[in-house]
Amino acid sequence: MTVGLKIVLAAAQILTVLSAVAVTFHPNILYASIALFFAFCGVAVMFVYAGADFLAGAQLIVYAGGVTILVLFAIMLTQWLYKSKLRDIRMRVVAPLALIAPALTYGLCVALRGLGDHVLKTTPANFEAFSSAPKTMPIGQALLTNYLLPFEAITILLLSALVGGVWLARPK
Amino acid sequence: MQPSAAFAHALNDSIGVLPLWSWAAVTAALVLFLLALPFAGFATFIERRVAAFFQDRLGPNRVGPEGILQFPADAVKMLAKEDFIPAGADRFLFNLAPLLVVVGALSAFAVLPLGRALIGADLNIGVVYVLAVTTLIPPGILLGSWASQNKWSLLGGLRAAAQIVSYEIAVALALVPPILVSGSLQVSTIVDAQGWAWGAENAANYHFWNLFYNPFTFVSAFVFFIAGLAETNRIPFDLPEAESELVSGFNTEFSGMRFGLYALGEFGDVFVMCAMFTALYLGGWQVPFVNLETFWIALPALVIALIHLTMFMAKTLSLVFIVMWLRWTLPRLRVDQLMGLCWKGLVPIALFNVVGTAIWMWVFHGQSLPQLLAKAFSG
Repeated sequence: MTVGLKIVLAAAQILTVLSAVAVTFHPNILYASIALFFAFCGVAVMFVYAGADFLAGAQLIVYAGGVTILVLFAIMLTQWLYKSKLRDIRMRVVAPLALIAPALTYGLCVALRGLGDHVLKTTPANFEAFSSAPKTMPIGQALLTNYLLPFEAITILLLSALVGGVWLARPK
Repeated sequence: MQPSAAFAHALNDSIGVLPLWSWAAVTAALVLFLLALPFAGFATFIERRVAAFFQDRLGPNRVGPEGILQFPADAVKMLAKEDFIPAGADRFLFNLAPLLVVVGALSAFAVLPLGRALIGADLNIGVVYVLAVTTLIPPGILLGSWASQNKWSLLGGLRAAAQIVSYEIAVALALVPPILVSGSLQVSTIVDAQGWAWGAENAANYHFWNLFYNPFTFVSAFVFFIAGLAETNRIPFDLPEAESELVSGFNTEFSGMRFGLYALGEFGDVFVMCAMFTALYLGGWQVPFVNLETFWIALPALVIALIHLTMFMAKTLSLVFIVMWLRWTLPRLRVDQLMGLCWKGLVPIALFNVVGTAIWMWVFHGQSLPQLLAKAFSG
């Protein structure tokens, strides 16, 4: 990786972490949700560097595009929600959690690494070549062969969530 | 060494020498000044002339020959205007919002296939990339409308976000049939597959425009165009602006260059939508029935690139003209009609097209309707 690419990656990482901190501690809930948007974008950049280009696109579409808009809608359509101050509760709850966060992150990384090795069967020797190879076709084939059952189970879960949402919102 | 190879070599060397950001800055400047700004400016001029034509008047015709210099004059006027922010506005978001819209619309220019040699970045997830970066637009519109502290703005912004998020689903589903047909998300591969030509030896490997691939892709193209119109907030789906009910909707409080950025974002988005339609359904840079690589005289690479560019721009700008034509032909929809059209009309039709195209490819082994007809007539 050239120096320039490393600088871009570092900038994306700093943006993600700072945005995440702002999500947690900003007293204005609207600014917190905008910070969440930038955190999603930073994570998408990191996906690109990890060679997961399709995942980066999905991250932007689903999270930066969809979830952020939903959160903003919820805030703007709820009366006075964006004027409430949430700092005190957050400090009391978040501070103890911050102590165990590094351990959780490490465990998550190890688990994901193991899952990745399992999916790909072997760890690629040449990561540079691997990371620039197209991932869309392997993902599609994995979803429709080895991982068909989990994939279908998730679709049923999402469908039931959708039906539940419609049922809750039905006219009385 | 070939001249082009020498040039590429020199370019490679200098990429190593200069820092990355300088190349990124040069690329961004090229996209902005060679493509987006001239297009957006020229589009506003053409739009006003087209509007005048449909309303039986002259339109701008004083500045320069036939009024062609009207858009530089407008740009100077916008730049010279007072940089005004309303007193109650949220300054940070008010500044940020137009930038998000412009970045979202112009980032998509990177993968537009202006010609085989004229793609900024031929990503292997090209189509997903376009969908991904254009999702920056609804947060930009929504935040800008909220930051203005204006009821009309907020109503327009909420309408815009609901509309774009809904129609994004129809757009994404309407993009699936061409992707299924070509077996790739890469824009250049999708365009290449549509290069069927008279008398080509390996005609079985290619099919004609995806628009005519089968009945399902034909319908899907129209779904994409209608949903794309709604996603770019164009009439008859311009409820977020709706000047007769919401003054000017989400951009009511924006003036000067901030309004200019919103306009640039909107026209950039229209261009991207029409260019994606051209690439996915109308064969992109391909000349109909002719294969330039196996032409009866060998063409230099520069000529091929120019022909590609001309074909692509001709197809795309015709679509842009249709978009303007619709603007002065159709009345605006109501909100409930808008949502009904998306969820009860376009989304089910698009889903049906996806399944239909998949079944067609399974039954006919990936051959298109023109290929089957040609085979039937040749015996």
